[in-house]
Amino acid sequence: KELRSERDSLTGTQRPKPQNAITIAVSSRVLFNMDKEQQIYEQKGMEEYLKYQIEHETEPFGPGPAFPFVKALEAVNTRLRELYPESEELFDVVLMTNNHAHVGLRLINTINHHRLFIERFCMTGGNSPIGYLKAYHTNLYLSADPMKVREALEEGIAAATMFNPPEKRTEVSETQLRVAFDGDAVLFSDESERIYKAHGLDKFFEHEKAHENTLLDHGPLKGFLESLGKLQKKFYAKGQRMDCPIRTYLVTARSAASSGTRALKTLRSWGLDTDEALFLAGAPKGPMLEKIRPHIFFDDQMFHVEGAAELGTVAAHVPYGVAQKRPQKKLAVENAKDSSAAAK
Amino acid sequence: MDSMVRNPDVKQRDAAQAVVVAVSSDAIFTPEVEQVHGATEPLRKGDAFSFMKAIQVVNERLLTLNSDETLLFDVILLSNDSEEKHSRIIASAKHYGLDIGRFCFCNKEDSIESLQSNNVKLFLSTDTNDVCKALQKGVPAALLYHQTDPHHQTEDQLKVVFSGDVIGSSEEMLHGLREQGFTETQLQGFKTAKGSVKEFAILMGEMRRRFGLEGSPLCTGLMTAWSSRDVCASALKTLRGWGLLVDEAFCLAGAPRSPILNLVRPHIICLDGLYHMEGFTAMS
Repeated sequence: KELRSERDSLTGTQRPKPQNAITIAVSSRVLFNMDKEQQIYEQKGMEEYLKYQIEHETEPFGPGPAFPFVKALEAVNTRLRELYPESEELFDVVLMTNNHAHVGLRLINTINHHRLFIERFCMTGGNSPIGYLKAYHTNLYLSADPMKVREALEEGIAAATMFNPPEKRTEVSETQLRVAFDGDAVLFSDESERIYKAHGLDKFFEHEKAHENTLLDHGPLKGFLESLGKLQKKFYAKGQRMDCPIRTYLVTARSAASSGTRALKTLRSWGLDTDEALFLAGAPKGPMLEKIRPHIFFDDQMFHVEGAAELGTVAAHVPYGVAQKRPQKKLAVENAKDSSAAAK
Repeated sequence: MDSMVRNPDVKQRDAAQAVVVAVSSDAIFTPEVEQVHGATEPLRKGDAFSFMKAIQVVNERLLTLNSDETLLFDVILLSNDSEEKHSRIIASAKHYGLDIGRFCFCNKEDSIESLQSNNVKLFLSTDTNDVCKALQKGVPAALLYHQTDPHHQTEDQLKVVFSGDVIGSSEEMLHGLREQGFTETQLQGFKTAKGSVKEFAILMGEMRRRFGLEGSPLCTGLMTAWSSRDVCASALKTLRGWGLLVDEAFCLAGAPRSPILNLVRPHIICLDGLYHMEGFTAMS
């Protein structure tokens, strides 16, 4: 149930409650292209970097890898506002950066230039933004910094690392948001992947068939899929199923013949689904994604992220589970369960 | 009439050059529930304690950079307490090694006058009423932010946050507030407060520039609570025009303030006149 928002006693402006919105936090480097500036920082240090930023304050940055995704979120919001003018169940994009406030004016100028609808930001001047993610009830965090992404995942917040957009970028829709998810270690836990890694493909298929009716555990992005589903239902309720501006895809290496069943049964038991489920039985994901044209594709394996990018899809890496090269702390899957179970 | 007592344990600053800050005694030492006659133990630490310690760190670093530095914090403890408590206050300050230059004992009614006559650049209190009264009389004042968990407030870096909703608003926007029910007195109060904030911001800008971008013992920030990003941008520009480039900036656009403030952990918040906004009160 939506919480009634308070009218600010002072100004009378509506104070939207963050719990009602689907909050997407993006860092400055994924929203905009700051390659040149990043280079200056790495080569010449903080002072030169900030000096450069201030000198070029009126020059807007170009779009970064998350830019088309954010634009598509706004397109969905426009449609939602038409159908539900009083509702706060919208996407709320927050700029969450540990950049210095000296860059603030250039970032705001850029937001204005591109006509983005970003009203909230945190510039933490070098401190970790992770605490702020929780304070804003963040549903998804996108950053160029894998360490911050890992930290967020450990706190139970869906997060993914984004990279430079592919040279040859596939054109994406400006009116329909398309989000593609890998299955294991993204929507689901990495338990099956562990079997595959330890015992190979045959054992994996055997195991999945034997456990067909056992539900898989939650993965870090299950909650985000759930949020998308919630918004989709709002369009269906107004008879807009065919014309829904949100479309979701499961793109998995599982095979329809064997291991796919377990995945679908699990989704169904959660009350979730994706508009399309693509079982590639181990085939590369790039070509399929090229056809789908998602604004973003989440995968836990860099191999697939890179493969997607090679063929023009913006892919984000979810550094979770056994596929990661680096050893990790036990990840907060329990937290993820609790936070998505709590009324959002 | 006030009685000004110099602290013999602390080197006196050049008050004309220093950043004179007056802090209410009730903020430095927790007011006692029961007045015990003849009690001598040191008073308990109050809300302003970590602020006092952080100020000390800033002063020490300034003097390390330049032993002849005059742009230092110069603290006056302002007390409305009864005479029998005076010596206990002075002894407590000594006990904790607080960098208090002078003790000013006066009646509550005379407080504002004392502040005005001592060239105070900032008056600090945890009481929003005291802060707003001072602001109305043209005395620069700021709120000591009350941390729900005092252990979280750092003592080795002073954090000063400026509220930017009024600073960043244009004249037309402020005129528009009239339609929202603000009185002329209140609107005049905003103008006065803006002037006071300006003075303090200039000083903070100067002090901040003594240190490098990283590892500074003084950290400054801007927060707009309900304004749009353009007002926040305007506030950033205004502060910059006054010589203050803030380290951190937050544009909340209506999001609840407490969770964010508890992460920002400022010691003081320089309100720009909208002191009765909920979320900025001492007990938030």
